[in-house]
Order: sequence, then structure tokens, then C-alpha cells
Amino acid sequence: MSTAIPALGGLNRTVLRVHRTALVFWVLAVTAAAAALIWMYVIGDEARGGIAACVSPPRDGGPSCAEIGSITADERYTDGIRVVTELIAYLMFPIAAWAGGVLVGRELESGTARLAWTQSVTPARWLATRLAVPAVLITAGISVLVALILLARGDGDPGLVGHWYQSEAFVSTGPTAVGHALAGLSLGALCGLLLGRALPAAGLSFAACLVLYNGLDRVREHLWPTATHTATDARTFQLPREALAVEWTYQGDRIVGATYHPPSHFRPIQYVETGILLALAAAATLAAFAVLRRRTP
Amino acid sequence: MTTAVSIEKTTAVPSPRGPRGLVWTLLRVHRSALWFWGMAVVIGVGALLWAYGPGADAAWAEFRQMGCDSGRPGLGCDLAGPAGGRYDTVVTVAAGFLGLLPFLTAAWAGGALIGRELEDGTAQLAWTQSVTPARWLAAKLAVPAALLASGTLLLTLLHRTVYSADGSLRTALGSPEWFRTNTFEANGTLATAYALLGLAVGVLAGLLHRRALPALGTAVVGLAVVASVIDSLRPHLWPVETLVDKHEYPEYTGMVLGDGALTSTGARVPDPICVDDAKCLAEHDIVGFYRDYHPSSHFWPLQLMETAVVLAVAAVAVLIAFGLLKRRTGAAV
Repeated sequence: MSTAIPALGGLNRTVLRVHRTALVFWVLAVTAAAAALIWMYVIGDEARGGIAACVSPPRDGGPSCAEIGSITADERYTDGIRVVTELIAYLMFPIAAWAGGVLVGRELESGTARLAWTQSVTPARWLATRLAVPAVLITAGISVLVALILLARGDGDPGLVGHWYQSEAFVSTGPTAVGHALAGLSLGALCGLLLGRALPAAGLSFAACLVLYNGLDRVREHLWPTATHTATDARTFQLPREALAVEWTYQGDRIVGATYHPPSHFRPIQYVETGILLALAAAATLAAFAVLRRRTP
Repeated sequence: MTTAVSIEKTTAVPSPRGPRGLVWTLLRVHRSALWFWGMAVVIGVGALLWAYGPGADAAWAEFRQMGCDSGRPGLGCDLAGPAGGRYDTVVTVAAGFLGLLPFLTAAWAGGALIGRELEDGTAQLAWTQSVTPARWLAAKLAVPAALLASGTLLLTLLHRTVYSADGSLRTALGSPEWFRTNTFEANGTLATAYALLGLAVGVLAGLLHRRALPALGTAVVGLAVVASVIDSLRPHLWPVETLVDKHEYPEYTGMVLGDGALTSTGARVPDPICVDDAKCLAEHDIVGFYRDYHPSSHFWPLQLMETAVVLAVAAVAVLIAFGLLKRRTGAAV
């Protein structure tokens, strides 16, 4: 008992030590993104002021347009939020390529893995550590970034941060971000074990993520039942604010109704998508262990 | 001495593949990449031909059926129907693939083409087999460059054909305008130039790291940095045109770089947003508004200027790569 715990600690340390470049890279990336988000949070109020309604000439206590027009924080804020949003949303691609190529593929190719298996580390524990340590670090890092981006987005004004249903914004503002990254990690590990070579594994992992990311993007609007809106006035048809239209109903060339997702569907869709991604990650992990058993008689 | 031996070898045991042995070896070692590229070009050509013919026809038929060409289109004409959506998807994915291609090329060149061979010693072995390092590197650049350039040029020609054939359909579908990054590159020489830049950056990263995976990472990140710098230069590579209007902003057209207000001295100032308030306008001495933009006739000047910049950067990367190889392998180049 007393030897088992330090041994596990040793194995974890080995993963961190061998992949210290990735660790340093990850810590730096998360720190930089977190710092950027805190900055965005600080200038957030000023930025929202920069797109506020104005009156010209100033009257009734409303802000004057010249004053509003001179505020430049809104552009900086929009750019900053967009860059970090894309960074979080696309994290699964480098994670998968790294997991397939570096974490598993290279160790199998160079024989480091087989050496480890002769050093009282069973193959299953070797793979378990290789998945668990990065998974913990990835989950922790992304959770921090998602919490900070929600804080920095404030009220999520679409004029500044885009619509809630846009692919990158949707993926980066909830648990789905963690789901994507973990699915990338386990898909990468599976590809690494299947191919056993670094570069092909990195390529296949990237391709698998490309398919998964775009596939989810296409089916996202069908992951939760839509709401329906029918025209009350024959001439004007308008969906509620920030609604994502799914299907329009026509009468002649006039729209008389539509099914749509109101912003309140954000959470249910997030949970369903995260569920799908975690299930996929679990399946890929199980498959990876099965492949490993076949590889090590 | 070495030369004598190598000459003797080549004459004594003529390669069954003739003088092109080096090229043949290269194609053989990287046959999966060759297959991938061949398949990608074939699928891309097929998809674009489909979009040009049946895809566009079906989208047009649907468009007319919805009454969108009637002169008073309904609200639904803002959104593509299923056939229009398929057409739009195929064209967008084709342009997106051409946009992704430089990064795939850089990753492959850094990782598989150079990094892996230096890491496992295949390159060093080749250099002892009558192939000088310089010829080895030249072949590694020339063969992929020729294949990349011919495939990309074919795809961009087809993309251009599709793009220029269906102007009003594109407007109806809300497809990207000519200056959107992926469309702009896929419609001209830039897709090819960026693919070649990806190759050059990848080769340089491979020679710098001499290990497959770090080279792959550096190549992709390095190309992203270089490409985004050049991308930010794009609008400034050709003189802009300016529209001026006394009462309101000129019409929004083409690639817009900036706009604002003009004072009576002709100075450009940030718009005080007076809208129609004459007193406010007089107070700020505003006599008109301007808008700097590139009309679509600037497509080729902008395209060719940026292509020249991209190719120049690629050439510098290639020169550094040869210099680096020379330093590494002594004066044997």
C-alpha cells in the first residue's frame, strides 16, 4: 500500500516530465488567455458604453454622440474576445494532434512505451496515466478560461461578442468546451494506438476532429426541440430577439411562422452536446484500451 | 576521392529508374502523401464541376420556384433552400480546403518530409549514397512544389469558373464577396503561393528542429504568424480609391478600409455623429464624408502584389534552409 501510492505519483511525474514542453506550453497559453480575458473584463463596461445609444445634440441627460464616438474600447474588446473565443473553440485540434502524435504515437514508435511496460508498469496503467494527467490539466485549464470568458462577456451583447449560437461562441462559453477538448484527447490517443506511429496518428487525429467539429456544428440545432412562433399580424413577422431560426413556414412568398431556438435553449443544447462528446470520449477511451490489449498479448 | 567512387558507382550499377532515381525515391517514400493529394485534387475537381453544372442548375431552379427572381422577393429569399445550401456548402468547403492547404503542407513538410528523415537518419544515409545534401533538399522542395502548384492551380481555375458563372445566385445565397479571405485566395494565384509558402516554412522548420513533431508544431505556428502578418498587409498593397459625398456616407461597396468625416480644409476627422443636425455639423466644421475602399477591379493588382510578397518570403525561407543545411553538413554542398 505504501509503495503503490508513490509509484503512481512517480508515473504521473514521468508523464509531466517527458511532456514538459507541452506542459509549459499549456500553462503559458492558459495564463495568457486568462490575462487577456481579465483585461477584457476590465474594459468591458467602457466597451459597452462605446456602442450605447446616443443623442445629438446632447439633451435630456443622454450621452452625446461625439462622446460615444470617441470611445475606442469597443473595438479592442470585440477583437480580444474574438481571439480568445476562437482559441478555446479550436483547442481540440492541437490537443488531438498532440495526443495522437506525441503522447501515444511517438512513444509506441520509438519503443519508450515498450520499455516502460517492462519496468513494472502494466500497459493499462501506462495508458491510464497518459490519459488521466492531461485530462485533469485540460479540464482545469479550460474550466478556468470558460468561467473567465463568461465573466468578460458580461451581458453578452451580440453587437460586441457575436450571437450566442455562432459556432465558436457557442463552443467556448460552456461545458461543451471541455467536452470538445476531452473528445479530442481520447480520439487522439485512440488514433495513436491504432496507427502506432507519430505523424500518421497526428494527421488522423486532426482529420477525425475536423469531421467531429463540423458534424456537431451541423446537427447542433437539432439537439433540442425547437420553439414555434406564428405570425399574429399578417404583414410583419418577427422572431424574438437573438433567436436562431431553424425552419420557416411560407404562405405564398410570405413567412407566416418559424421554428427557432430562443437564447434560453443555450443551456439544454450545451448539456446535450457535452453529453454526446463525453460519451464519444468514453467510447474512444474504451476502444483505446481494447486496442492496447490486442497490441500487448 | 569521394567523387571518383560515386561516379564509378553510378556507371557500374545504373539505376533501373534512370537519372530520376532521387525523384522516384521521394515519391515512393511519401506515397501516402502523394495519394492524399491526388485524391484531394480529384475530389475537389469533381465537387467544383458538380457545383458548376448540376449544383448550380438545381439551386437556380429552386430559386425561381420560390419566386425569388420576381423583382419583389419575399423574406424567405434571404435564406438558401436545400439545393442552394448544398451548392453553397460545396463551394465554401472547396475554398476552405484551399485555405487549410498551406497549413497541412507546412505540417507535412516539417514533420514527414524533413523532420522525420533527419530524426531517424534516412537523410544522412541518403547523403552517403552519392546524393549531395543540396540535391537532396532541392529535390525535396522541387517535387512537392511542382505537384502542389499544378493541383492548386487546377482547383483555383475551377473555383474561379464557378465563382464568375453564378454572380446573382451568389448574391441571393449571401455567399462571400470577392474580398473575403478564403474566396480571395481561391480565386487567384494566392492559394498556390500560400501552399508554396507552407512548403518552404515547413522545410525550414524541419531543418531547424531535425525532429518530426516539434518541427510540425513550429511549422504550423510559424506559418500562422507569417500568414496573418501578410494578411494584415493585404489592403495596403495597392492605392485605395476614395469616394466623397457632401451629405451622407458614400455607398458601401467592395473592400472598405476606413471612413469618416471631412472638414472644410479637407482634413479627415473622426465622425462626430451629428447625423442631420446642421448646427452640430457647422460646429465641427464638417462639409462631407469619405470612404476609402478597393473596388472589385483592384482584385488582380492586390492579388499579384500579395502573391509577390508571399513568394518572396517563401524564397527567403528556402535560402535560409539551404544556408542552414550547408552549415550543418560542412562545405559539402
